[in-house]
Amino acid sequence: MPHEKAGSKRDRGDGGQSLAGFGRYAGPATLIMSSLADGTKHGYALTKDIESFAGVRISPGTLYEALARLESQGLIAAVESDDRRRPYRLTAAGAAALQAHLNAQRRVADVGLRRLAGNWGTA
Amino acid sequence: MSPAAEPTAGGTDAAADRAARLLRWYPAAWRARYGAEFAELLIADICERPRSATRTLDVARGGLMARLAAAGLAGSPVRPATGATTALDARHRQVRASLVSLGCASAVFGGFGAALWSQLTIGWQWSASASAAATVATVVTSAAMLAFLALAVLAALPALCAVAVTTARQRRGQQIVPAAVLTVAITVLFVGGRHFGNGWPGTGGHRGLVPAGLAAFEWATSLFVNAYWAHPSALAAFPGAELAWMAVSPLALACAVIAAATLLRRTELSPRLLAFEARLGMVACAAMAVFLAGCACWVATGGQRSVFHAGLIDVAGVAVMALALAIAQQAARTARLGLGFARH
Repeated sequence: MPHEKAGSKRDRGDGGQSLAGFGRYAGPATLIMSSLADGTKHGYALTKDIESFAGVRISPGTLYEALARLESQGLIAAVESDDRRRPYRLTAAGAAALQAHLNAQRRVADVGLRRLAGNWGTA
Repeated sequence: MSPAAEPTAGGTDAAADRAARLLRWYPAAWRARYGAEFAELLIADICERPRSATRTLDVARGGLMARLAAAGLAGSPVRPATGATTALDARHRQVRASLVSLGCASAVFGGFGAALWSQLTIGWQWSASASAAATVATVVTSAAMLAFLALAVLAALPALCAVAVTTARQRRGQQIVPAAVLTVAITVLFVGGRHFGNGWPGTGGHRGLVPAGLAAFEWATSLFVNAYWAHPSALAAFPGAELAWMAVSPLALACAVIAAATLLRRTELSPRLLAFEARLGMVACAAMAVFLAGCACWVATGGQRSVFHAGLIDVAGVAVMALALAIAQQAARTARLGLGFARH
């Protein structure tokens, strides 16, 4: 569930970001942002959620490397908390970047599935 | 929050100790920002998987990447969770760190480059080169070194002005110590270089490519880069003053580089100046690449028929310069990326 309206002034500061520059971190970044699209989560909750919906366990070092990159580019933001386990939320810029990235992935998946169905009858 | 059962916050003492040890892979600034929450995640992970070599390797790799990012050589800047620091400030700090790393790598390149170049130029002072490789190497390295020195001056002047203005405006006491160290180190290098350069036994009477005084100064300031360190008996035959200079000059050079890096890290540079310095850095990398090609050309031919023959120390020097150039290029690339983001 989104926590703010897309395009809020605060999140547009570094707007226009995408996951194109993430290189090998694009995978973990997509998983983290997809998890945060459902609401704020801290590191452990992110790990568990990603494991449940993607079947992938992201190691702590990789998780925080991706979190730091996403935060530095304004795609996610830390939420104030008294708990030592600080939660994160998706920003409007992050939601837009995730949407664009997933749409691109869906186009590739659609083409692949269509070709599989046409030539292999498996889709 | 996730409905999954979670280990209690804080975890066991043993897990906390192991998490604290793993956290040491990360630099202080990273630990200050993410340390507490990362430790909680590690404790939870350790409680679930008590033994995991994969986790240890993953954390070690992540820590090294964070250290490279802190040095402005990779990744993204650490953005404080609270306070007035914006993403733009964090990126500018990252660009500054990249420029500092670029400067340090350039200084190492310059130190070893001066040692090789002085051999070629002083060799030419004694007799004209009889080999095409040495001629090409001397001309190419001389042109590249002069360009490199000009770029260094162009880069240093506005940066020093910014440091002076910031220090004067903010009356920062913490800038005084590195500024004093930088002044003393440069004075030592200049005075010592002049003194020992003047003591050079002669030029052989042949007119060289560059002024004999400059060549001798380069030779004197890079005197510590030599093969005699591996031959203590030969080293012992050196005059005491020269031995002392060979020990003092690298120390002064290191102090100058560290002090300049400290000053720059503590000084806010305007986005325009950051962009200017980054562009100069890219041009300097090109000059360094040309210089390295010239040196490699000379070393590959063994310095045949030139007064100073290329030896193992020169091969090692070329290797060090290649490494320094790779670091400088990576720093310039990171700075460019940071500035590209900052312009959005």
